[in-house]
Amino acid sequence: MKQNYFKTLMVLFFLTTVAGSTVFSQGFVLNGTVKDESGESVPGTTVLVKGTSNGTSTDADGVFSIRVPGSEAVLVFSSIGFATQEIAVGNRTQLDVVLVAEATQLSDVVIIGYGTQKKGDLTAPVSTINTDEMLKRTTSTPMEALQGTIPGVQVVAGGSPGASPSVRIRGIGSFNNSNPLYVVDGMFVDNIDFLNPNDIADMSILKDASGAAIYGVRAANGVVIITTKKGTKNMKTRVTYNGFVGLQKPVNVPRMANGEQFAAYALEWRTPADSGSVRESVNRYGGSGLRPSTSTDWYNALLRKQALITNQGIDLQGGSDKVTYTVGFNHTYQNGTMDAKNDFQRYNVRLQMEANPYKWLKLGFTSILNNSTTHFPNNNAFLTAYTASPLVPVYDEENVNAFPVRFSNSGLIGRNDPNAVADAYYNFNRLKQFQVLPSVYAEASFWENRFTFRSQLSQLYGSGLRANYVPQRSLGPATLVSHLVSGQERTTNYILDNLLTYRDNKGSHNWSVLLGQSSRQEQWRLTRVEADNVPADEEFWYTRQGRPNQAYYDEDGYRNRGLSYFTRGTYDYDGKYLLTATFRADGSSKYQSKWGYFPSVGLGWVLSYEDFMAGQHLVDFLKLRGSWGKLGNDGIRPNSGYAVVTLGNPSSAIFGSAGNTAGQYIPGYTVNNFFANITWEVVTEWDFGVDFELFNNRLKGSVDYFDRKTANVALDRAFPFGAPNIYGNWASMANSGFDVGLTWNGKAGKLGYQVGGNFSTLRNRVTNIGALPNIPGGFPEWTAEFPNRIEVGKPMQYFYGYEVSGIYQTQQEIDADPMAASANAAVPGAVQPGFFKYRDLNGNGIRDDGDRTNLGSYLPTVTYGFNASLTYANFDFSVVLQGVAGNKIMNLNRGRYVKGQSSLNLDADFYESLWTGPGTTNSYPSAYALSKSWNRPQGASFFVESGAYLRVQNVQLGYNFKIGKEAPVSMRVFATADRPLIFTKYSGFTPEISGIGYDANVYPISSTYSLGVRASF
Amino acid sequence: MKHINYKNRIYKVAMLASVLLTGCSDFLDNPLENQTPSVSIDYTDLNRMYQPVSGVYSSVSKGGFASWVHTFLKTSQSVDIDPRTGYSEVNELVHNYKSGAAIKGFWALDDLWSRYYGSVLACNSALVELDKFGANIGDGDQANKQLLARYQAEVRFFRALLHYYIARSFGNVPVLGVESVDPAYLGTVGKTPVADVRQHVISEMDFCIANLEDARPNQATHQGGVTKYTALLLKAKAAMDLAGNDNGSPHWNTVLEATDQIINSNRFSLFEDYYQLWKKPGKMCDEAILELQYSDFGNPTGDVVTSGGQVWDNLFLFQAPQNTYGAPINGDGWLIPSDEAARFLSGRKDNVRMKTAIQHCGIEGRPGTFSVTPDGDTISGNTAGKKYFNGKAYFPKSQMTPGRVDWYGANNNVRVFRYAEVLLMNAEAKIRKGQNGDAPLNLVRKRVGLAPLVNATIPQLMDERRAEFICEWWGERFNDLVRTDQAATVLSGFVKGESEFFPIPQAQEDRNINLRN
Repeated sequence: MKQNYFKTLMVLFFLTTVAGSTVFSQGFVLNGTVKDESGESVPGTTVLVKGTSNGTSTDADGVFSIRVPGSEAVLVFSSIGFATQEIAVGNRTQLDVVLVAEATQLSDVVIIGYGTQKKGDLTAPVSTINTDEMLKRTTSTPMEALQGTIPGVQVVAGGSPGASPSVRIRGIGSFNNSNPLYVVDGMFVDNIDFLNPNDIADMSILKDASGAAIYGVRAANGVVIITTKKGTKNMKTRVTYNGFVGLQKPVNVPRMANGEQFAAYALEWRTPADSGSVRESVNRYGGSGLRPSTSTDWYNALLRKQALITNQGIDLQGGSDKVTYTVGFNHTYQNGTMDAKNDFQRYNVRLQMEANPYKWLKLGFTSILNNSTTHFPNNNAFLTAYTASPLVPVYDEENVNAFPVRFSNSGLIGRNDPNAVADAYYNFNRLKQFQVLPSVYAEASFWENRFTFRSQLSQLYGSGLRANYVPQRSLGPATLVSHLVSGQERTTNYILDNLLTYRDNKGSHNWSVLLGQSSRQEQWRLTRVEADNVPADEEFWYTRQGRPNQAYYDEDGYRNRGLSYFTRGTYDYDGKYLLTATFRADGSSKYQSKWGYFPSVGLGWVLSYEDFMAGQHLVDFLKLRGSWGKLGNDGIRPNSGYAVVTLGNPSSAIFGSAGNTAGQYIPGYTVNNFFANITWEVVTEWDFGVDFELFNNRLKGSVDYFDRKTANVALDRAFPFGAPNIYGNWASMANSGFDVGLTWNGKAGKLGYQVGGNFSTLRNRVTNIGALPNIPGGFPEWTAEFPNRIEVGKPMQYFYGYEVSGIYQTQQEIDADPMAASANAAVPGAVQPGFFKYRDLNGNGIRDDGDRTNLGSYLPTVTYGFNASLTYANFDFSVVLQGVAGNKIMNLNRGRYVKGQSSLNLDADFYESLWTGPGTTNSYPSAYALSKSWNRPQGASFFVESGAYLRVQNVQLGYNFKIGKEAPVSMRVFATADRPLIFTKYSGFTPEISGIGYDANVYPISSTYSLGVRASF
Repeated sequence: MKHINYKNRIYKVAMLASVLLTGCSDFLDNPLENQTPSVSIDYTDLNRMYQPVSGVYSSVSKGGFASWVHTFLKTSQSVDIDPRTGYSEVNELVHNYKSGAAIKGFWALDDLWSRYYGSVLACNSALVELDKFGANIGDGDQANKQLLARYQAEVRFFRALLHYYIARSFGNVPVLGVESVDPAYLGTVGKTPVADVRQHVISEMDFCIANLEDARPNQATHQGGVTKYTALLLKAKAAMDLAGNDNGSPHWNTVLEATDQIINSNRFSLFEDYYQLWKKPGKMCDEAILELQYSDFGNPTGDVVTSGGQVWDNLFLFQAPQNTYGAPINGDGWLIPSDEAARFLSGRKDNVRMKTAIQHCGIEGRPGTFSVTPDGDTISGNTAGKKYFNGKAYFPKSQMTPGRVDWYGANNNVRVFRYAEVLLMNAEAKIRKGQNGDAPLNLVRKRVGLAPLVNATIPQLMDERRAEFICEWWGERFNDLVRTDQAATVLSGFVKGESEFFPIPQAQEDRNINLRN
């Protein structure tokens, strides 16, 4: 069925495109120009004969020419940033129009789910993105460019090339997928990393339930709607080039303890192993006595001084009176700052075409082709670099067994540190992706455009080819065989939408009704094979060239389907009283209960249109909004709802392993009887807001308060007795806070300025976890050492552990403290001066589980941004700052010693702050203390640091000018500094930690300095 | 023109309506991909009846039983082992017999508990599966009924074995039967006193003895599987723990009867070479009563099955010396035979056991020096100054599958129960009951070249047990000292009434409040 429909649509499309090329019309030709108040021409202004689709647009000089049906015709002039004007033609044949800069954006059309609405009529808090501001950022992914600009939207940047930033809208409402839904030209996607920022025409963020509820089960984390650029009718082909070249420099790289400091530290551990490795370093690499001369700075060895980032794009837009089109090409390259093969390269091609064969019919297609190659770094190397002893050089010519490169081996001085540079070097991890997002649509209008019917088929075809190869290598003495992991994945998703819109008015009553139906399927499949002993040349990277094995093969996949019916009604009286109501019924194949229902309602009152507000000059616009709605999250894992059988080798035992006989499998199976029925998470949200414009529209802003409760929160619940975790809807939680955004525009002579600020607060609390007292968790492999907890009344996954109140300075102090004294009575010498002093919260005089407490949350309570821009003549200058406050970070890098069997390296600040005798410090333990179990607690406030920071996100200076007289080329050149400065007390690489706040293994953030050009003609 | 428009519109509306109608209900009703539901098992195919049993063996051998976590906890409760693990809780607390609040939160205890009980749950799940096969056995089909009972006995043996060791570690613990397949039950079940757990093990073994195969494990239908004799030994062990130090306890009769039955079957004998017993030649020999079986299938690379399941869990790896002569005999050098162990063995001139259990790392462990094992492997010293490594977990390179350079110890089994233990228990029961235990005891001594004893006493027998089981992984020495009430005297740091058992892990109490008291 689907295929037939598709074919028919294509046939129709071609027929109508051909048919639509001849046009007959009567009337006369009107010529004119369009200028702004300062006399500059306004190119690209749409000129439309009112009530028809007959129109044109102005050329680069603002000149237009249009055939009008007669003197009674009215022309509508519209251009972004200017107030729309309607002018009756009369008997004129020449018309020069002056457009007035629009003081208010209230008449701007905003993209909302399955339609558009005027900004002034919105009852929901919808943030629209200023795409010009976005283009100022030199990021490889579009969402990163939004950091700090939108209240209620927190973006945490990833560091490695092309890495997806994590985006949270209004806090965390789920332990599962908390990324928003992205809708690109109608297609649902998980992220928009594949888009070039320059392709984006409009972007709206639906933050609350009443805005997002039309997306039902996908909307719980907010919705980001993107429409890509389209050509306009009767427009001369316009070419735009956009490009920049920049250098990334790693910033805020921690200074590690040097060789001398580390040797002193290791000796303080007073173990044969630690002093042995210091002595061996002297023997092997030089120095005297216990003073090694080697001092390797592993970060220095691992990081590039600078890495290239570049982005070039060219765009063509145009249109005749029946067909409009856009073609865009883009290339992005980002090299990693790790000195190894890691980079990101992407080619983008975008095609869009829309035909208007009949007045009532539009047919169109858009497609985005995307081809990218990512070389992933071995992020583990950064971790290794942190703990590795500086007493080992990077290379060691005497390490004769090492090949192909003579890397050093810390085993030769009795240590276990992997060689960080070798880890990074012997890593080839490439993902080649190809993705196409084709979509075709037809839109028919009836009854003077009152009814519109739109049908759209959107698809996503994606394929990925992964090659992960480590060559045969040795760091001496053992030789490790080469290994290849080769994976292929394929994604095929489609969405079929059918929308019927009815829009009408009578007197001051305006209303619209949307009826829609949507069906979708998401299908993914992965095949992975592995082999050892595969030759080194890429041409031979096939498992059959090595030694594959049955156990080296895996296949995985999913197929989920959804079916939805939805409706939206809007009503307003004279633009004063506003009502929006939506309802969506969603069916999903993922869960045992198939159907969910998501209603919402929003009300607005524009006070400034009321009579009692007339005559005053302070307030230009004032609107109160309130909304309520329900949203679903189907980003949670499906489960089968039945016992699952595991067959094959993993569930089969070996028998007959006797003497010289190797055992063999006897087929077996195991059954997991533990399961729960699962359904989606449901968010219920209230939002109250006010939008205002004051002082002749100079001050604009909005304030929102939101309160969202998530029920049925799905999580893996642990059971006693090692029963497998059961994934089910066990918890509920609440998020509430304020979103505030303000901007001030002003002009002083030739100097124009704009200042804006935004901030959001967030209060996150877990409200229910069933009968459990708490749910323990943590960071993989470190759950015991650095636990977190979920507990009712606390922020989700707060850090849990002991509170360190200071450092014992003297033996007397220890003897006087019952907690330390009891520990010393049990094991003499367990607590010594220079050791942690814990707070005895339950007051029982021993350090036990009852002394552990909430050490803070990884969720910021405040996120904020600030921006300022100045324009003077042809120059413009802008600054964006952003930051977060109130969050904590568990510094797992510093905490690594708690699992260390021997001394691990530490950062120089840590080393220099260590306790060295009574009175030296009350906040850092002694070097010796780090080796003893008393100072290796299961979670402690010592490792929890403030994650607050303020970052200068972007500084840009631009200059605009024109080249040529005949067909002038508008040029803009600009110099940008991205992330040049950060203010933070956090001791690690960067306070931007995605996930649940554990800093382990992070790629450093870079500053980028770049130069760019934009030209259009 | 208008006519055409309408026709077009009607066509289009009709077409779209048909698209809308595809939204019928079976669009959403597809099963989850790549997850086989249990209903796909054909329970009428009785040839598959052994499959859930093999699944249990797989769960036990790859689960926690022989994993490093369990073994380093049990082994470290001994003066014969210097743990030197990466965990100060083990090195400082467990090794010094500290229990209670100080280690209640230690993750390894939780791991031990969870993985042991995890295998118990796997056993119960398999019993449910066996019942489903059982429902398809015809009334007159005695052969299959017998087979079903035997398979149930194999599963119930492992369930009891796990409970036995859980109770040895934690004292009073719940006994989980088939009702535990309901997760709600797990959140409320309470504890059973340790003596009752042992009694439960004995009654379970009576079922197993009656229904298991009467064969030596290496002659069992599924070679190496548990048989009647494995159950007899477990029954004897549970009885021995119940008897404690009380010579008048009737449980000694049980010990004597069960061990007599094993001995009198004449199916078992001690493997001649004590050194090779731990290596490939001794794998599943006639001395083996319970061994967890592993394999690398004789291939240098590819699939390999080792204890635990992950690389680290491999019993051999973490006890391998830190050897600069490299792979495969290269690990983290944990669980080192202590100087005390060396003194003990050399003091009684126990040369064979010395050579077997205590291997040297270079000269006195000094870096830059090397030593050579009896099998010709070169072992270096190390900067930590570890003098020895555990010879019972030593697997010579020459015995590994040619070409295999990873997975140290691959293709060797993990010894759990041996005939030597039967003989020593038989001797002890006899002595306790006032009989002469010399005959079985001297068989064990003779194998390692020691002169026979005459009228051996309990202290002599305890010494023999210590020497025979030295550096093994199941905590026999600690258990012997506890049950003979010697622990507080011999083990420095041991506090009677506190140190016998580990505390129930905090995380478990948080999930089931009935575990609290």
